[in-house]
Amino acid sequence: MTKHTASRLAAAAALGLLLSGPAFAGDIPEWHPESSERLVKLPATYLKKSLEHDFAESALGTALRGTDGEIGFKAKTLQDLQNSIAKAEGDMRIELRHQFLHEKRAYVDMMSKRNELQRSRVRIQTRLLEDMLARMRPGSSGDSPAKQELIKRQDAARARFESSLSTVDMRLFNSSSAPESKYSVKYAENSAAIEQLVARINTHKMNDAVVADGENMSKEDYVRQMLADAQAESAIIDQEDTILGYMAKLVALDALALADEALDPASADSLSPERTTPAAMTSLFTTN
Amino acid sequence: MRLTSILALAATGLALSAGFAAADTLDNLERERALLIEAMLDPGLAPAERQARIESEQRRLVDLERMVLRDESLKGRNTPTVRKAFANYDLTFLVHASLEKKVSLMDNWMDQVGISTNTLMAARKGRR
Repeated sequence: MTKHTASRLAAAAALGLLLSGPAFAGDIPEWHPESSERLVKLPATYLKKSLEHDFAESALGTALRGTDGEIGFKAKTLQDLQNSIAKAEGDMRIELRHQFLHEKRAYVDMMSKRNELQRSRVRIQTRLLEDMLARMRPGSSGDSPAKQELIKRQDAARARFESSLSTVDMRLFNSSSAPESKYSVKYAENSAAIEQLVARINTHKMNDAVVADGENMSKEDYVRQMLADAQAESAIIDQEDTILGYMAKLVALDALALADEALDPASADSLSPERTTPAAMTSLFTTN
Repeated sequence: MRLTSILALAATGLALSAGFAAADTLDNLERERALLIEAMLDPGLAPAERQARIESEQRRLVDLERMVLRDESLKGRNTPTVRKAFANYDLTFLVHASLEKKVSLMDNWMDQVGISTNTLMAARKGRR
């Protein structure tokens, strides 16, 4: 082993130690999902697919797919290197171990980058789902008391109208010889058409209610479930970051160990410190 | 490419299903209601003429009241006109309220604005 190789290993160890901090600080590609106003109108079954498709088409989705591909190749490289180390001996083995450490560091870098992208995706998705939930509950999302009061009155008016409709119709047509108005006739025709369309919508397979644990979920429940899933994913990413931190530390410690082996006195080509100290040379001065 | 276009089509269809904005039905109702009240109070009309005018307005108002009550675009539209319209069902939806209560349009309106036989009998002629 030469001095040059030993110093390279020491440098690798120093770089490895730096890895215990955040490894990825580059620009994160963006994802601008569809507006929550539009998404909130989609059936629950289609909502998730729509979000996934939207993400896959985005710059962030493309970057994440690319990183996943690179990580796959890197994992294969690491596997190959590990197999090669098992078969190698002497300087070649040390050189391969050195390379193995570099590749491991690169792997940890890539995984950190992937987690940053994932975290960005989860953050955007969480914000979007929270916004959707707020839109689904207009009463609790900042509607003024006056507006809430108005909606209450309008609902009451509509209910009173619906409940008195048949009575009103009967009295109106009994008291008047005039035929039904054009509006009433057309409205009845259109209502029948609307009922047919609604019936078809209700039985459409893409409009099926989402079933979880044997029970139908409302759209709001489904969005809340998606939100909980996103938060769980965020917690898992945090945990993965901890794992990556430990991996980086291990790479650093392995690099130090390798440097230490390279500086082993038995294999060094310089004199040992004991042989050069003045005490060791005392006898040379006390005898003639 | 084809998938993207299909998805865009689906999204557009779903967005359209939310409904189109209607014309301002409340303005039309208010105009006709004003004409009805004018006919009720016009001292120049003979009783038969007044009755004919009221019946004619009533037929128009039935439809207009229904249009307002079914108009989704008015839901939560917090404007003074809409607030006032829904503040008193009996006064805004005169025809429906009077038929529901089995009283004449005139009686219903007078009752809502606070004019009764007793108040009329108690009224005195005088200079303001």
